[in-house]
Amino acid sequence: MIPQQIAHTIVDPKAYAAEKPVDDAFTWLRREMPLAVAQPDGFDPFWVVTRHRDILEVERQNELFHNGDRSTVVTSKTADEKVRSMMGGSPHLVRSLVQMDNPDHGYYRRLTQPYFLPQNIRKLEPRIREIAKSFVNRMAEKGGRCDFARDIAFLYPLHVIMEILGVPEVDEPMMLRLTQELFGSADAEMSRSAPADENEGLAALMATIADFVAYFNKMTEDRRAHPRDDVASVIANGTVNGQPLGQLEAMSYYIIVATAGHDTTSNTTAGALWALAENPGQLALLKKDMPACMPLFIEESIRWVTPVKHFMRTATADATLAGHKIAKGDWLMLSYPSGNRDEDVFDDPFAFKVDRTPNRQVAFGYGAHVCLGQHLARMEMRILWEELLPRLHELELAGEPRRMEAAFVCGPKSVPVRYRMQ
Amino acid sequence: MATGFKTWQCENCGFLYEEEFGLPAEGIAPGTRWEDVADDFICPNCGFAKSQFSMIEV
Ligand code: HEM
Ligand SMILES: [Zn+2]
Repeated sequence: MIPQQIAHTIVDPKAYAAEKPVDDAFTWLRREMPLAVAQPDGFDPFWVVTRHRDILEVERQNELFHNGDRSTVVTSKTADEKVRSMMGGSPHLVRSLVQMDNPDHGYYRRLTQPYFLPQNIRKLEPRIREIAKSFVNRMAEKGGRCDFARDIAFLYPLHVIMEILGVPEVDEPMMLRLTQELFGSADAEMSRSAPADENEGLAALMATIADFVAYFNKMTEDRRAHPRDDVASVIANGTVNGQPLGQLEAMSYYIIVATAGHDTTSNTTAGALWALAENPGQLALLKKDMPACMPLFIEESIRWVTPVKHFMRTATADATLAGHKIAKGDWLMLSYPSGNRDEDVFDDPFAFKVDRTPNRQVAFGYGAHVCLGQHLARMEMRILWEELLPRLHELELAGEPRRMEAAFVCGPKSVPVRYRMQ
Repeated sequence: MATGFKTWQCENCGFLYEEEFGLPAEGIAPGTRWEDVADDFICPNCGFAKSQFSMIEV
């Protein structure tokens, strides 16, 4: 059994904001108890999977380790009961790809998969470059000082995914706010109402989802009447086994694209610039040989930030994992940041190296649920850096960066920087 | 010089195997044809089997 102090750290939003306590906890676990059970007060027990190879082992066995049988994110007993009482027994507030298993998962994934494949995403490159250029110009106009997270990194991937989805620009600030409420529900600065307790927090989360649903219901009606060349039209008019998508499934599909589709990429972009500001030698190295370094730098940024902190799986049968007996129904936490600091896989894992190779980071997951948007995310980041780095001459932090308080999706919320740009 | 290299794609995650470049990191030399890639090859990006790849035009 994992010591209580460590068990609490790995579910504590504040510990993820500080980062070091979480890094220390997982470093200890990888060394002493790489696969063991945690039971923080108020939670059901769960296995904590900390090693790179064990994470892959669980993720590739999608029949043995289901997503949908229990909550896909770590949830207290009280919150879990509340969700189940509101959702007719289901442990989920939404039913997106993340909460599905086969056969539904395959059917629903194939609906939008073609849109996100490299050969299709490539066609968007000229338009995404225009968007990136406009953000880089905006940064230059700031006159040498900005909050890179708020002024650039939050807004650029947001604009890209909203164009892809089909949400007009005027609604982007609302989409950003709702996303931050959803992922930042434990962070007083991000959440809807700075909830005093878990019940209020859950109510706030439900209100956020209700706002999304109201918005996307209108969008469905519009795209049914006037289909366009956007992902919203695919969701609104798509069929699964000859039937239109269910209401919950359609709403959840819009919501996952409208949230996961930018926040993770924003976090990675902001975290990468933060790392470059702290490591001028790495920035110089990257600028010296941009074309060769770029793909390595992108992978290293993703490894470095690992914005998705965990997903949960549930065993569908008794199983053996790394010599331990896992029982049917057991809940498992896959810790992506831990996998991405695994000393057996990465040399000097706590160093940020723009030319790190090999780099088998697991920040996009693995197996049937591996990130649908990974090709888009990589391309967006590459284009932004290609536009920004040649114009960026000096860079340093102009204050203490801060991360969001969240144990699920977490990254920088403020990265104040000083710079000189052409 | 060999020509007519093909590209294969993992149907689950979109990962591309380009015969021309091989996958040196996985020990597969540039120019290795898909049929010569080992049957127990798995997608380095998502773990799906070789049989889950299909040929694509790029
Ligand atoms: C750096 C950016 C990103 C990171 C680190 C990231 C990370 C992840 C992770 C860890 C998963 C779960 C994988 C698993 O269970 O094995 C996931 C799934 C997903 N991601 Fe991303 N993501 C990113 C960007 C995006 C973007 C741009 C989109 C745009 C559409 C997106 C859409 C999705 C969707 C729809 C899923 C669910 C896939 C499924 O369950 O089949 N993500 N992502
Ligand atoms: Zn794959």
